[in-house]
Amino acid sequence: MTRAGAELGVRTAAAGTGVGTSPGAARGEPPLICTAGLGVRFGDLDAVVDVDLDVHTGEVVAVIGPSGGGKSTFLRCLNLLQLPTAGRLQLDGEVIVDADAGRFPVGRRLTGLRREIGMVFQSFNLFPHLTALDNVVLAQVHVLKRTTEEARERGREILARVGLESKAESRPAHCSGGQQQRIAIARALALDPRLMLFDEPTSALDPELGVEVLAVMRELVSDGMTTVVVTHEMAFAAEVADRIVFMSDGRILESGPPERVLREPEHERTRRFLQAVLQR
Amino acid sequence: MSAVPEYVLRLLPGVQFTLILTFGGFGIGAVLAVPVAAARRSRRRVLRLLAISYVETLRGVPPIAWLFLLYFGLAQVDIRLSSLTAGVLGLGLIAGAYLSEIYRAGLRAVPHGQLDAARAVGLGTARIYRHVIGPQAIVTIVPPAAAFLIGLLKDSAIASLIGVPEVTGLSLRFTQREFEGLAIFTAAGIVYFALSVPLATFARWAGTRLTARLVFG
Amino acid sequence: MIAASLIERWPEWLSPLLGGLGTSLQLTAAFLVIGLPLGLGFAVMLSAQRRLVRAVAVAAVELGRAVPVLVLLYLVYFGLPEADIRLSAFVSATIAISFSFAAYTSEVFKAGIAAVGSGQREASQALGLTHPQEMRLVVLPQAVRIVIPPILGWVVIFFQATSLAFAIAVPELLNEAYTIGSSTFRFLSVLLLAALLYAAVSIPASLAIDHLDRRRGPLT
Repeated sequence: MTRAGAELGVRTAAAGTGVGTSPGAARGEPPLICTAGLGVRFGDLDAVVDVDLDVHTGEVVAVIGPSGGGKSTFLRCLNLLQLPTAGRLQLDGEVIVDADAGRFPVGRRLTGLRREIGMVFQSFNLFPHLTALDNVVLAQVHVLKRTTEEARERGREILARVGLESKAESRPAHCSGGQQQRIAIARALALDPRLMLFDEPTSALDPELGVEVLAVMRELVSDGMTTVVVTHEMAFAAEVADRIVFMSDGRILESGPPERVLREPEHERTRRFLQAVLQR
Repeated sequence: MSAVPEYVLRLLPGVQFTLILTFGGFGIGAVLAVPVAAARRSRRRVLRLLAISYVETLRGVPPIAWLFLLYFGLAQVDIRLSSLTAGVLGLGLIAGAYLSEIYRAGLRAVPHGQLDAARAVGLGTARIYRHVIGPQAIVTIVPPAAAFLIGLLKDSAIASLIGVPEVTGLSLRFTQREFEGLAIFTAAGIVYFALSVPLATFARWAGTRLTARLVFG
Repeated sequence: MIAASLIERWPEWLSPLLGGLGTSLQLTAAFLVIGLPLGLGFAVMLSAQRRLVRAVAVAAVELGRAVPVLVLLYLVYFGLPEADIRLSAFVSATIAISFSFAAYTSEVFKAGIAAVGSGQREASQALGLTHPQEMRLVVLPQAVRIVIPPILGWVVIFFQATSLAFAIAVPELLNEAYTIGSSTFRFLSVLLLAALLYAAVSIPASLAIDHLDRRRGPLT
């Protein structure tokens, strides 16, 4: 781990609970996923700068911050939909990406990494030509090489878990936004991921439809799913997160347990952001 | 194949006919398409039906068949056109049908609010088209019209089948005398390619010029 | 009077002309069988990651689009025998028309592939699908639906282009009409009947495609 990463660890520990709440960390295991000095540069624009973050098994991390602050770009680095231009990424203590050395996984190693990490997008990105069930079955068959029967059975189970067994044979176009997002969650869960990434999962939804998505996420979290979620839902973040990370201008400005970051932010920028959000 | 450059030179006399056919046909079509597109937008059902029939009939029969009808067919009722006249006229009639559809799509792309706004300030129909709708529609019309012009350059090759000595017609004549088909038609391909490049460049230039004039005045 | 004399011999000509139309339709079927996969192949090559593959596809597509079909036809029919490749007129016409059809439709296929949004690609990648799997399972099934109406439009245009095979004496519809015309000197009558037969195929097909295009809503 880099010096900066070690410092962050110290900071969170000093802040009180933080890392301590996670069972994995308590047993002294390496973090499930860990970034060190991670950066993304688009031409002249620094989208993500020097981000260090550890996520331990069972932990829930909520990333908040103003739009354009690099939250989504950072999240997309974690499953390499976005290749970082600086820093390192570790999974289970093993270095997967070393951008400074130009080392990136390709082929099987890349797809293998992605199947361990589930992702839910703001705009769902369901496959419109497939039924809900087939959306959930596709990668099980072609990535995990499960048999079709096995995959369909598992798919139905997971659709039931998100409350959509009745929609199994419907196309996405015939489902509400909230239902589509729950199908998208089921699609990711079907691969038995060890980590779930949520990129503003309710931002494209009317509030009343967002509620049903949050309910599914709440249940996942209570089952112990390791989760990183980029969100604007402060109440939800406060409720489910073990740790809140505030990002602005591509940097992590503040990180700690929700009660501290949300109630007693240390940073002026965080205070202004929270004021603006809470006034809405 | 070493004879290709020589054949390119020998095909040059055909280029003038290819260009007469292309630009003649396009000119006739561009003018003809105006009333057709207007009729297509008319409130009168008869006019709309006439326009649709014209467009569908012209597009529903192969271009060579039209050229044959004009050249061989009209001769049966003692209307004798030269092969070049029949070629230009035939391509013009066909171009009119295709271009009217391009005009129509361009006019449709102008938001309806523009028409309302122009009416609201008291402009008459002619002025609305001249000053409000036309200048906006032309930006949408130029790119597909330019693509059509380049298509027409190649379609003009069919006039060789009624005896116009344009590039393809000359190539065929050479082939029948000299048995160098591969070299001759490769040369013909090069000539068409060479003609279409400046046309495409000009079309792109005209497109950006028009857009710039509309947006920046 | 003129009208009556124009159509008086139509009944006796109908049978040979229908035979010619049959040949035109056979040519259409042939260029579809070869041209559709070729066009899709060009499109996939145009979107390939390797530069060499892209360059080959660009060259082929530009050639097919920049050169008149008639010139391609002559090139295959008169040119290839010089390289000791002897093909029948029908096969020559099929090759030339298929190639040109593929060049034009590759642009449509390519646009269809591009129209499948980046969200779909990202979702596929996030699930761990490989690039070929992403293409085969997610992108192409959606792209094909998007391109069906414009591709059908090109099929109608190239059905008419089969009349160019007249130039190398394939006994298609226009050729039959011309043969009758030159023996009876009634070009106008026989060409009108031929035009009517072309229109009888093309116009209903075009209208059906327009209808299909307008009706097409979101994927259901």
